[in-house]
Amino acid sequence: MVKLPAPAKWALRIIVVGYVFLLVGWPMITLVQNAFSDGLGNFQAAFSDPDVVHAMIVTIEISLWAVAINTVFGVGMALLLVRYEFPGKRALSALIDLPMAVSPVVIGLALLLVYNGRTGWFGPTLEAHGFQVIFNSPGMIMATCFVSLPLVVREVVPVLTEIGDDQEQAATSLGANAFQTLRRITLPAIKWAVVYGVVLTLARSLGEFGAVKIVSGNLIGQTQTASQAVEQEYNNFSQGEAYAISFVLVLLAVLCIVVVSLLRPKESSS
Amino acid sequence: MSIDIAHVNKKFGDFVALDDVTVSLPTGQLTALLGPSGGGKSTLLRIIAGLERADTGTITIEGVDATRTAPQKRNVGFVFQHYAVFKHMTVAKNVAFGLEIRNKPKAEIADRVDELLKLVHLSQFAHRLPSQLSGGQRQRMALARALAIQPKVLLLDEPFGALDAKVRKELREWLRRLHDEVPVTTVFVTHDQEEALEVADEIVVINEGRIEQVGSPDQLYDEPANDFVMDFLGEVTQLGSVRLRPHDIEIALTPDLAGSAAADILRLTRVGFEVRLVAGTEDGQEVSVVTTRTHARALGLEEGMRVWITPTSGAATVPAMKPRLSPAS
Repeated sequence: MVKLPAPAKWALRIIVVGYVFLLVGWPMITLVQNAFSDGLGNFQAAFSDPDVVHAMIVTIEISLWAVAINTVFGVGMALLLVRYEFPGKRALSALIDLPMAVSPVVIGLALLLVYNGRTGWFGPTLEAHGFQVIFNSPGMIMATCFVSLPLVVREVVPVLTEIGDDQEQAATSLGANAFQTLRRITLPAIKWAVVYGVVLTLARSLGEFGAVKIVSGNLIGQTQTASQAVEQEYNNFSQGEAYAISFVLVLLAVLCIVVVSLLRPKESSS
Repeated sequence: MSIDIAHVNKKFGDFVALDDVTVSLPTGQLTALLGPSGGGKSTLLRIIAGLERADTGTITIEGVDATRTAPQKRNVGFVFQHYAVFKHMTVAKNVAFGLEIRNKPKAEIADRVDELLKLVHLSQFAHRLPSQLSGGQRQRMALARALAIQPKVLLLDEPFGALDAKVRKELREWLRRLHDEVPVTTVFVTHDQEEALEVADEIVVINEGRIEQVGSPDQLYDEPANDFVMDFLGEVTQLGSVRLRPHDIEIALTPDLAGSAAADILRLTRVGFEVRLVAGTEDGQEVSVVTTRTHARALGLEEGMRVWITPTSGAATVPAMKPRLSPAS
């Protein structure tokens, strides 16, 4: 590391801390202040509304589904990308990163085009079989999976690359089949990377707004999620309730970050 | 014959790793696959284990055609250069792995693990994690793990390559003793000719995907089939029209011996117990000679002296060929 002179070091610290404070810290503090502006009143008002409670439950349900699906597929895709050579591998890798670059609203619109029940490419067939995707939970889960797709993959890929396939080959030579090798050798080795990816996915899913808003139709008491409830309360001039729900969402996200930072050192020391 | 390899070819892209290799590795013996890096010896070992598949040719293990058998069904013990320890398992769990996969009863597994850890002198480390072991200990653990499944053959891929010189020497002596105790057919890959000569019953020299020679260490050293084997198994120098080992040259102060050549000592270095010198003959050849310190002292050798050099009787020699490009080793 380059040694900086003391004044430069202090100047750098002040700039960085100031930047983060103005961008993240201050807005968050005012949010919390506003949420608690009349004690717990805002919370009581918000969470006595069954629609808000429902929205909260919908958010959590959708998030858990998205986390489960993305964990399975994320680990699978990471294994595919690291352990196998196939044509189109780089294209697949780029495609997995796409959700990071594309606006969630665009993702929502794209899903709508394919799966809507009237003119969609796929939707009418599915709906004829009684499976409604758009304006229903499957579409919302898909949208959430889409936006959080890279998080597990990108956590697991470097770890898989680093551990190499020596241990897997050793397990194979000792008689383990593919499933036994995966369960006993590969998964324990990438455990912390998966956990980290899961927590990030959860945090991202809880806060998803744009993509889900398009595909959910924002039906109050049915498909409305917590972030949408925040927007609605805010637009209805119930700012207090909006801040209260926001605070709960922030709290969940902060919990996720705390869990991650507790896991981080373990991961690097093992 | 325990492992029969017939007409095996293997290419990686354009690179020919193995070129029509046919060889039989004898039962119950310790065989070394010796050759320079990139010569195909590891590939051959991995094909025997099933970790790589031959493009053409067959592998027969103890009379059973194993060419298309999945690696987990071959019952082959494999030891990797970088140990391939299961990092999240204790030493005992590592060794037990193959037995647990085979659903052996718990008591039997525990007994077998105890026995193996004793064999590799790791009993007191049973409950440690591999990260708490030294390189040599990890490799012994890996060996116990491979032996646990009572393999038909034990394959070791540069097993001591990642260890420092002293541990490497200890371990190879230990491997030799272990093999005498547990006489499972063993094949190990090495690029270290000293290791092969010291440990193996039989050596297969592989270079550029082809087998150069198969034989006992003595056969290879004394009767090298060609230039390459001669070069690879030890130092070589040229005297007159023959190539021979520097220690197979006799030095005298007088031209008594028939065929002796006059030479001046150009350089003289002492390395431990031996003395290495370079002698320049009258027709401009620079000949390396190795002799013992005692002998050098008895003759009073020093730089600038005139001596007479002769190949010792019975020295392994090959006719000198035109200079050829020797493969990078």
